[in-house]
Amino acid sequence: MTAEIQPARRGVFRREDVAALAVFLLLAAIPLATSGYVVYILPQYMLLGVLAMSLALLWGHGGIVSFGQAAFFAIGAYAMGLVMKHLTGMAINSAYVGILVGTVGGGVTALLIGYFLFSAGVRAAYFVVATLALSIVVEQTVKSFSDITGGWNGLYVDRMTVTLGSWLELSLFDDAPIYYVVLAVVVPVYVIATALMRGRFGKIVVGIRENEDRMTALGFNVPMYKTLVFGLSGLLAGVAGSFYATHAQFAHPVNAGVLFSTQVVIWVAIGGRHSLLGSFVGAIVVASLSNYLSSIEEIQNYWPLVMGLIFIAVIVLFRGGLAGLVEKLAGKGAHGRAAGH
Amino acid sequence: MAELLVIEGLTKRFRGLVANNDVSFALAAGELRCIIGPNGAGKTTFISMISGHVVPTSGRILFKSRDITKLPVHLRARIGIGRKFQTPTVFDNLSVYENIELAVLATPTPSRGRHARIMRTLDLVRLAEQSDRMVGALAHGQRQWLEIGILLAGEAQLLLLDEPTAGMTAEETHSTGELLRRLVRELELSAIIIEHDINFIRDLKAPVTVLHLGRVLVEGSFADIERNEQVRSVYLGNA
Repeated sequence: MTAEIQPARRGVFRREDVAALAVFLLLAAIPLATSGYVVYILPQYMLLGVLAMSLALLWGHGGIVSFGQAAFFAIGAYAMGLVMKHLTGMAINSAYVGILVGTVGGGVTALLIGYFLFSAGVRAAYFVVATLALSIVVEQTVKSFSDITGGWNGLYVDRMTVTLGSWLELSLFDDAPIYYVVLAVVVPVYVIATALMRGRFGKIVVGIRENEDRMTALGFNVPMYKTLVFGLSGLLAGVAGSFYATHAQFAHPVNAGVLFSTQVVIWVAIGGRHSLLGSFVGAIVVASLSNYLSSIEEIQNYWPLVMGLIFIAVIVLFRGGLAGLVEKLAGKGAHGRAAGH
Repeated sequence: MAELLVIEGLTKRFRGLVANNDVSFALAAGELRCIIGPNGAGKTTFISMISGHVVPTSGRILFKSRDITKLPVHLRARIGIGRKFQTPTVFDNLSVYENIELAVLATPTPSRGRHARIMRTLDLVRLAEQSDRMVGALAHGQRQWLEIGILLAGEAQLLLLDEPTAGMTAEETHSTGELLRRLVRELELSAIIIEHDINFIRDLKAPVTVLHLGRVLVEGSFADIERNEQVRSVYLGNA
């Protein structure tokens, strides 16, 4: 039998697992080889990578585009900041509570919004507009309640300390410790998200992307699954926001708005929306590149233009993004289950 | 045989248009039934009300003695009502295997049993050799069979088939008829089939319900229907 298009079932996964291992080993090795700014800034980019993954599982697998990821990220960041600031003198580590509140806050907000929108049949462009509005609402909220959030000045957030009862107390004030703590969060997040999207849940979400009517006629509660994947997406964005706030030591309206949400969309489009790893790497690469380009004096004023051109080139030339390109170069043609659009 | 599906006085009005008017109908478990009628007779509306895609204006639908008149589509699917649409509604960008897999995921099949179930279904609809192909690359007839396979893998007990042989060659049409008879016999499924192809209906040797202007005109064996003067005048005469 000769098939024109071979869906790569298990092969691609093994290749992506190898790639993931390589990426995480590289990230783990960087602080051993160097120090200074790179070790300081990379954890932030990794967390932006988690934010990108939160959109990739929604967009790449579910076919649902969201311009609201910054909102959930900001909910995580502000929850972290506010809890750490106000929850003092407790027996429990306030940073842990902050992470929990930020993560659950992002997830539950997404669940609620998803529930109302999806059960009302809101989809496609209308859904995008609703998520856009959500970003604006959160941005305006944190700007307006400046007594609590610090408004345009942002909210100062402490570096957290890792504690384990009376056994362990590890300050994350220095770059290397927090680098490894962030990495130790990012890796399981990636592994769990990947396992979920490869399992029954992820397959159902892909089925909904491919043919909603068929999935309904098979007995799947489509609005429920869309709500769940949106909730999962908000959860990931929330966890990224919580850690980002304590690393960057601030939570700012800039990380809540439409502009930031748009950047997330760009990272994911460049990295490859069908691949969680691709979007994770995409965010790190694009964020690093923006940072680098903006530091070169000659093009300081033009770098957004350069980024825009790169974005357009990727969209036009390889719609699967970097991950799609890598897969194509690695041989065996088609993009497997994630292929299509 | 016990009645699987009982329909009482089903009516559907779309604004001024009466698509179905006081239709009563019964289907036994393990029965194959053809629905014929000229265009606009209300055939598709009729099965859309059974699948839940269209809500009736009045009347009742009982499936396994349970009133399902107001049950949403996905819950009807879960209790065993499977619908094949007029245009094949399958996952074009996924492989044949993945299409069937999604149907199996809709059932409580434990993960260990899934692969075997998928392969068994593929054998049944003769697509085992196409397992890895993208569905978009299949021939039209194969896509129709795939959709039937999806219904089987989804453990449907009542198949609602809207023009299952549309776009098929004479040979494919013939083997589709064989397949359906075999499914009804071996898996004890029931099916309601909307068709236009008279040869196919004759081959099925199943009772026929004739719809005309939203009403049941007559029911009976194909031979009876073929001889019926009323049917000849509204349908067969100008077929």
